[in-house]
Amino acid sequence: MAHESRLRGFLRTLLPTWEDVDDVLQETSLIAWRKFSQFEPNTHFMAWIGTIARFEALRHSRNKARDRLVFNDDLLDLLADESLTETDLREREHQALRHCLDKLPADQARWLEHAYQPGIKFHEAAQLAGKSVTAFYKILQRLRAILQTCMTKELQHSTP
Amino acid sequence: MNVPEFNLNEAIDHHLDGTLSPEDFTRLQETLLFDPTARALLRQRSQMDATLRDWTLARQSTPLTAWQPSPKPPTPSSWFRRPIQTTLATAAAITLAFVLWPKEYNSPEATSSGVAMLSQTLDAEFAHSPLRSGDTITPRTIKLTKGLTQIEFFSGATALLEGAAELEIISSWEARCLSGRIRVHVPPAAKGFLLHAPGMKLEDLGTEFALNVKDNTSAVHVFEGEVIAHTDRTSSSLKQGMTLGNTTTDFLPITELHDLIAQRQQRRLDAWQDWSNQARTDPRLIAYYTFKHWTDDRWDRLVNNFTEPRNPKHSGGAVGARWTEGRWPGKEALGFKRPGDRVRMSLEGTYSALTLSCWVKVDSVDKKYNSLLLTDGYDNGEPHWQIFQDGSLMFSITYRPGDVPKSAKYNQIYYSKPVFTADSLGRWHHLAVTYDSTSGEVIQYFDAQEVGREISPLHQPARPITFGPCEIGNWGLPTQNHDSPIRNLNGAIDEFAIYQAVLSPTEILQQFEAGKPE
Repeated sequence: MAHESRLRGFLRTLLPTWEDVDDVLQETSLIAWRKFSQFEPNTHFMAWIGTIARFEALRHSRNKARDRLVFNDDLLDLLADESLTETDLREREHQALRHCLDKLPADQARWLEHAYQPGIKFHEAAQLAGKSVTAFYKILQRLRAILQTCMTKELQHSTP
Repeated sequence: MNVPEFNLNEAIDHHLDGTLSPEDFTRLQETLLFDPTARALLRQRSQMDATLRDWTLARQSTPLTAWQPSPKPPTPSSWFRRPIQTTLATAAAITLAFVLWPKEYNSPEATSSGVAMLSQTLDAEFAHSPLRSGDTITPRTIKLTKGLTQIEFFSGATALLEGAAELEIISSWEARCLSGRIRVHVPPAAKGFLLHAPGMKLEDLGTEFALNVKDNTSAVHVFEGEVIAHTDRTSSSLKQGMTLGNTTTDFLPITELHDLIAQRQQRRLDAWQDWSNQARTDPRLIAYYTFKHWTDDRWDRLVNNFTEPRNPKHSGGAVGARWTEGRWPGKEALGFKRPGDRVRMSLEGTYSALTLSCWVKVDSVDKKYNSLLLTDGYDNGEPHWQIFQDGSLMFSITYRPGDVPKSAKYNQIYYSKPVFTADSLGRWHHLAVTYDSTSGEVIQYFDAQEVGREISPLHQPARPITFGPCEIGNWGLPTQNHDSPIRNLNGAIDEFAIYQAVLSPTEILQQFEAGKPE
């Protein structure tokens, strides 16, 4: 998995929306680019850039905290600490899920494509799919459950 | 009843969909703060969400025929909606990282997708894969055909299930009873635990209740606390002593199981004691330690040799190692944890064959060599018995011909296949090794199954075996001019026997059968 995708997943855990993730990822990339000379080869790149991303996420959350549903600092710290030890597991889940998505029938994949297109709000996606928000949510829950089960199975087969 | 329902899975999905209410957000945050499992779930679902978005984006950048036009046709650049150079910066930093990525980063971290564990069983039989107490359970359906089993969910909820029963474990917070009798205890930390049953969904508010499911109908009884029962039409609160639904059988009692388990353990202990009393009279024994803790021993360090007739010269002394519970309540063991922990002995004599056998609970194979029994130093004819870092059993004995320089390695090493894996750690196992100095054959056993049989190419017939000063659980006094390596066992031993003969596979099996914990 591209490291960008790992970073995205990591930041999505910490931040309330994908827009926030994009904002923080931009800032993180800029800082990483500027500070790249400070990155020591043979050290843990994900940990390094993860630390930058984490500080940016924290700063971003504080700025937004007044009017938004943002996790508090304690929880952000816990989530960030635990995340950085799990990147290999995330990688394997990502691969497993990609495999499951490849096997998904086209009619089911269509619902996902509605729901997960960039920048779309949930109710907009429902409207686009021609469903009520509740009905659309139920469809998605069923699909996510299918994917989760498939992913768990894939992981069980892939781990010795 | 109008109790707002809180389901962790749904809350996380709503959070990721951007449709979570502020009230539920507060509850989600509270749950996440105190529950590591919930945080792990959030991280997993976040990554799923990221993967799904990547996947959607990739599909949409290729033309789709069966796709209706979207009002905002997305492209990779609109994904970022940012000046192009910053995207390039990410790309560049990430590309560089591919080059610089250190190799060791890729070594996979041990992971588990477990959500519960099987803590107790009583005469339990399972329909598909057999489960043992101590097993970690991943989401799946458990079919118990007979007996009783206790399942401890990682959320803290505990369920007692009586066969025949079928229970689908969904997560550490959720399960579905398809048939059978079940009794659930939910501590405050696991408040919100969901149990699905035909025709109803039970949300537990910190309580104890029982559920009977038969012919697709459910009946529930609350022993303590409160349960919200959601049916198709209504949600109702069930308080202490209340029953919902009809059942012809009693609800599952809890006290019985623990009594039965205690009785069974006592029977196993008694059976082992009978066998042990007989086995200690075997004239082939050099030493036999049962790790009996003498509470009136003022020094509290005595490890008696129990061979009959008694040979106190072969008794051992515990250093560091602490007394702990053995295979059953009432049977003691010595726990080896710290680098100094060991039992020291001095065994006289010269022998032509040997058998070493012990009951050990290995908590972790965390060193290159993990000691079972080693002689001080490593002179000719001295055996070393250890667990190698890959989880295999390792027996070695050295015979250096007179013309070989002292610095040359000249030891016969025998490895079994790996036996200590995530599945066998933390449980009591029987280990044995036999060595015949005439044939040079070493046979290794794990729970009485042969796991290695070999003759070393370095073997020279009829060389004597000696012990002298030696240790169980460590190797503390190595040869001169060597640093003292750390080789202490991480685990506990509650029986150790040393014989001057090769025991037959049948005899090893008898030892195992007499002493197995369950």
